[in-house]
Amino acid sequence: MAIGWFGRLRIEGLVWMLDQQLYDLPRAQRISTRREVRANLIEAATDLGAGEALRRIGGSRGLAEQYLRAEFGDRPRPSWIGAIVAAGLVPMLLKYVFAEAAASFRDGVTAADPHVSGTFVSTGLEYLQAAQTFTFTDGSWGNSGGGWAPLAYAIWLLSVVAAGRLWRVRFSSHVGAARADN
Amino acid sequence: MTHDPQLLKGVLSLLLMHLLAERESYGYEVVQRLQAAGFEDVLEGSVYPALNRLHREGLVATRLVPSPNGPARKYYRLSDDGQRALTDSTSAWDRHVAGVQAVLSRPLGPIPSSDGGR
Repeated sequence: MAIGWFGRLRIEGLVWMLDQQLYDLPRAQRISTRREVRANLIEAATDLGAGEALRRIGGSRGLAEQYLRAEFGDRPRPSWIGAIVAAGLVPMLLKYVFAEAAASFRDGVTAADPHVSGTFVSTGLEYLQAAQTFTFTDGSWGNSGGGWAPLAYAIWLLSVVAAGRLWRVRFSSHVGAARADN
Repeated sequence: MTHDPQLLKGVLSLLLMHLLAERESYGYEVVQRLQAAGFEDVLEGSVYPALNRLHREGLVATRLVPSPNGPARKYYRLSDDGQRALTDSTSAWDRHVAGVQAVLSRPLGPIPSSDGGR
């Protein structure tokens, strides 16, 4: 039975979805798993049709869970991909919040006097960042300060630990080097 | 024929090792052989990860073979460690079956009535 383009697209969709959920596997093993699932699905789809082949393999989420269990066992495991995402996203979020707070302060000053000149100090988001100094010259401005306070670093660290469930690292079994056999 | 998923989960590795001891196979072929042996309700989604686990544990070896139908097939064969594990697991299974059978073959007495014999 020939696989139509739609069937092939559905197979590629499942393989892609599976791949996105296997980022905690060593890279070589993830690629190997992806290739094997694709090859087996194409074989099955040739026999049974793409719809039945996909039904029999189940959803990508369940399949990914089985692969992760096969690799790491049933014990709770950390999510390195979760930790990496949090490590990247939380600073961006904090930077956005700090920028909004600074913009509010600047807008307040220039609303009172559009041609203001002088130096103003903003405490910013207290406990999360250091004070910022804004220097205005005829309404245009420059600023300094506003670095992260220890609490902001603590929030970042805690977010990474929580998103990655890193407390599970000490309970995880040691995983040997990936077998890169293809 | 349907099987208890929990029972099947416990013996899937043993079945896979035995099939691969008979001859090397790729994932989808293993599923077909299991189904031909009467395990129609065994789905690919549980067999492929189980093969992966056997590989991680060093019980099977793999090789890639070009396929006429598309991507290369990953063939699995039992390793030397796998042969030993198969022997041990088969003995354990035989003991298990014998133990269960010994209990199940005991004659049952009369079933007590629901009113407690009053």
